[in-house]
Amino acid sequence: MFVPNTKLALRTAKQRIPLLLQSSAPPRRWQSTVEGKVEPPPAGGHLPSIATSKMLRTTRDDALRTPGLAWTDDDDSTGAVRNIVGGRETRKMNMYQAVRDALSIALAKDDTAVVFGEDVAFGGVFRCTMGLAEEFGRERVFNTPLTEQGIAGFGIGIASMGHTAIAEIQFADYIFPAFDQIVNEAAKYRYRAGGQFNIGGLTIRTPTMAVGHGGLYHSQSPEGYFMGASGLKIVIPRSPIQCKGLLLAAIRDPNPVIFMEPKILYRSAVEQVPIDDYTLPLGRAETLIPGADLTLLSWGTPLYTCTTALSLLSSPPPALAPLVPAALRGARVELIDLRTVLPWDVEGVVASVERTGRLVVVHEASVTAGVGAEVAAEVQKRCFLKLKAPVKRVAGWDVPAGLQYEKFNMPDAIRILDGLIETLSY
Amino acid sequence: MFRPVRSIRLPLHTAVKYRALATAPKFPVHAQGILPTSQSPIVSELQFFNSVTGGAGQIPTYRVLDGAGVPIDGAEVPEINEEFAQKLYEHMQLLPTLDNILYNVQRQGKISFYMTAYGEEATIIGSAAALAPDDEVLGECQYREMGVLLWRGFGINGVMAQCFGNQEDKSGKGRQMPMHFGSPQHHFHTISSTLATQIPQAAGVGFALKRDPARRDKNVAVVYFGEGAASEGDFHAGMLLASTIPSPTVFLARNNGFAISTPSSEQYYGDGIAARGPGYGVDTVRVDGNDILAVMNAVKEAKRRCLEGGRAVLVEAMTYRVGHHSTSDDSFAYRGRQEVENRKKIDNPITRFRLYMESKGWWSEQHEEDLKARLKKDVMQAFKRAESLKRHDLRELFTDVYGGEEPWNIREQREELAGLLKKYGQVWEPWRNELAAFKDGGEKVGGPPS
Repeated sequence: MFVPNTKLALRTAKQRIPLLLQSSAPPRRWQSTVEGKVEPPPAGGHLPSIATSKMLRTTRDDALRTPGLAWTDDDDSTGAVRNIVGGRETRKMNMYQAVRDALSIALAKDDTAVVFGEDVAFGGVFRCTMGLAEEFGRERVFNTPLTEQGIAGFGIGIASMGHTAIAEIQFADYIFPAFDQIVNEAAKYRYRAGGQFNIGGLTIRTPTMAVGHGGLYHSQSPEGYFMGASGLKIVIPRSPIQCKGLLLAAIRDPNPVIFMEPKILYRSAVEQVPIDDYTLPLGRAETLIPGADLTLLSWGTPLYTCTTALSLLSSPPPALAPLVPAALRGARVELIDLRTVLPWDVEGVVASVERTGRLVVVHEASVTAGVGAEVAAEVQKRCFLKLKAPVKRVAGWDVPAGLQYEKFNMPDAIRILDGLIETLSY
Repeated sequence: MFRPVRSIRLPLHTAVKYRALATAPKFPVHAQGILPTSQSPIVSELQFFNSVTGGAGQIPTYRVLDGAGVPIDGAEVPEINEEFAQKLYEHMQLLPTLDNILYNVQRQGKISFYMTAYGEEATIIGSAAALAPDDEVLGECQYREMGVLLWRGFGINGVMAQCFGNQEDKSGKGRQMPMHFGSPQHHFHTISSTLATQIPQAAGVGFALKRDPARRDKNVAVVYFGEGAASEGDFHAGMLLASTIPSPTVFLARNNGFAISTPSSEQYYGDGIAARGPGYGVDTVRVDGNDILAVMNAVKEAKRRCLEGGRAVLVEAMTYRVGHHSTSDDSFAYRGRQEVENRKKIDNPITRFRLYMESKGWWSEQHEEDLKARLKKDVMQAFKRAESLKRHDLRELFTDVYGGEEPWNIREQREELAGLLKKYGQVWEPWRNELAAFKDGGEKVGGPPS
C-alpha cells in the first residue's frame, strides 16, 4: 500500500535516505525540455513524449556511438572488428523502417533467409516488410494462409534445415495458437535431439504492447507466458537503432528468438539509424540514465512512460508538487532497459541494485507472474542485505486490457511516480 | 443508375487461379473386392485424385436470382410476402447506412475502430432470416455479423452503445473494441477478436443443444467465419468435432475474397472452403452470397439437415468484401480501385434484391427515398444519443474477471487504484479528464466487493 500522508512520506524519506539530502550534485534534470528555464511544465504540457524523448538518438554522431554496437562489415573476413565511426552514414528512420532495413540486410546477405507471415507480401499491416517482396521476390518474401501454428511450425521446419526463417505473427495477442509449436517444439528442439538438430535460424517477429485503443486482443504483452520456455530468447527493442541491431542479432543468434516490437513505437519513435550492418548484444541490459538512489527497470514502450515519471519526480507541475516530497526531487534514478527478457541480464541489474538498494520494475503485462516477478525474486535473493525497500512492481492489474479502461490499467506516469516515491521513502 | 446484367460473368476471385488438372477418383466397373472393414473398392489402377466434384470443374454455386433480380431457370423462389421482403430489404439497407455513418465517426476519432460489411449484406441478412431467433449464433472471425443481431431486434441503440462503449453497452461494458457484440437475449455469443476460436466452440454449443430436450429438435448452433479464418487449426478442429461427435452446427463461411490484404488465391490452393466439407463427411453447399434468396434457401436447408442428421453442415457463401478490411486498413494498397468499383456496380447484392422487389411491384423509387431518409435519421439520432452518454463505472475495470468471490489480488489492486485516484485523481490532469468520462467518476472503485 502506498502512503497517502505526504508529511509522513517526507519524514520517512529524510530518515531513510540521508544520502539524497547530502548529495552536493544538483539534481539531474535531464528530461527537462526547456533547459535553463525555472518554470515547471504544465501538467501534461511539456512532459516528454516519445517523439521528443531524449532516449532517441537523433544525430548521426550520437547514433554511430550507440553503446554496444558491433559493425558487421562485408570485408570482415579477417575476423577483426572495425570500430571505425568515420565514413559511416545514418538515415532518419522510424521503427518500422528500421525493421525493414534489418530484414533487407538479412535477406541480402543470407541466401537461405526467407520472410513470411500474414499479409507480409504487400508490406504487412504495420508496413515492416514494405517493398521487400518486390526487392527479393515472392519466393523469399511471401504471404502465408492465416494460421499462426502453421507459421511457427513452417518456420521451425525451414530452420531445422539450416536455413534462416524470419516469421511474422501479426499481433502478439495472436501468438497463442502457435504456443505449442513455440514452447514444445522450438524451445526444446536442440535439447531433445541431444544437440544434433537445432532451429537457431528461427526468428519470430511480433508487434506487442498497448496503443491506447486496442482493447482485449490488440494490447497484450505476452512475454511473461514464454519465460518458462528455456531454449527461447525473448527480445523487446525500444527504438529504431535498437530494433535494427537487436533484430539482426536475433536473426543470427544460434537460438530461436521471439522478437516483440512495441507497436506504438513503429511510427512515433524516430532516430538516425546507421545504414551499415550492425548488431547489438542479446542478453545485455542497457543503462539509459545512470543513478545511485533507485534502479528503474523496464523494456519497450513503458520506458518512455518511465522518463515522464522521472520528469514529474524532479520537477513536478504545481498541482502535483504537494504530493512529491521536496527531498525526493533530487533523487538520482538509474533507468535501465532490460532489452532481452529471456535470458535476462541478471548481472547488469543486480550490479545496479547493489549500488542503489532500490528497484522498481515496470511492465504493461499483468503483475501476477509477469517478468517483474522473476526479476524481483532473483534480485531479492542476490541483493537481500543491500535492499533498502521491497522490490516494487508497477504493472497492469490482473485484469484483461479493457478498451475504455486502459488509462487506469496500464502503468502510466503517475503510477510509476507513486511507485518511485513509495520506494524512495520506504 | 447502371444497367444490371443478367448473367454475371465477372470471374469469382476464388476461381482466378484455375487448377491445371482437377482429377476425381475413377470407380471401377468390376471392383476386385472391398477393403476389409470398409466400403473401399480394390482396384489395380494406380490413381491419385484432388477433386471432390467428380470432374475437372469446380464445385457449383447455388443461385436463385440473376444479376437483374430475375429467378434463373428452375430456381425455387422462397415463399416470402411483400412485408417480409421489405423487412429483408430494410435490414440490408440499414447496414450500409450504419457503415457510412460509423465509418466517418471513426475517422473523426469518436470511436476507436470500425468494420464495414459493404457487399456482404445478402449473406448476413439472408442467413439471419433463415434461422430461428433462438438459434445460437457464434459470430466472429471478421466481426461482420452485426446484421444478424439487428435482424433479431438488438436495435440501433445497442449497436451504438457498444461502438461507443458507453454505459448502455451490455455487450462488454466498454471493454471490447467496436463491433464486438454479444447478447444472450438474442442468442448471440459475445464476439472475440481472435480468429476462428469460436468454430470448435460452436460444435460444443451444438452438442449442448442436442442434449437439451427442449431445444434438440428446434435449434442449431451457427458459426460465421471468413475464408481466412478457415485456415486456422480451429476450423479443422470444429468441423471434425461436429461431424465425429454429432453436433447440430451450421458452419457458415463467408468467402469474401480477402483476409485483410491476402486474396483467397493465396489463402488456399483447393476448391474453396466447400471442398473441405466432404473430407469431414459433412453435407456441404456453395451458394451465391450476393443473392439473398439463395442464401435463405441454402441456410434453411442446412438447418433442416443439421436437425435431421444431428451433425454439422457447411455452407460457403461466395461474396466480395467491397470495403476495406477495417478502419485500420487501406485496401487500395493491394487491390485496384477499379476492381472494387466493378464489383460494386456489376454485382451489388442490395440492387439485385431491389430489382426483384420492383418486378413484384413491392418497391418503388418513393419507397427507396423514404427508407433511406428514415434509416439515416434513426442512425443519426442513435449516434447523437450514444455520444452523449458516459461510460460505465470505472469500477467495472475489475469486475467479471471471476464469478463468485473476488480473489485477494483483484480486491487489493482495486483498493490500490482507489487510493491512487483519491490521491492524484483531481490533481493529475490526464486522470481528471479521463475520470469525468465514467459514470461514477471513479468514486466506486474502492469499497467492499459487489
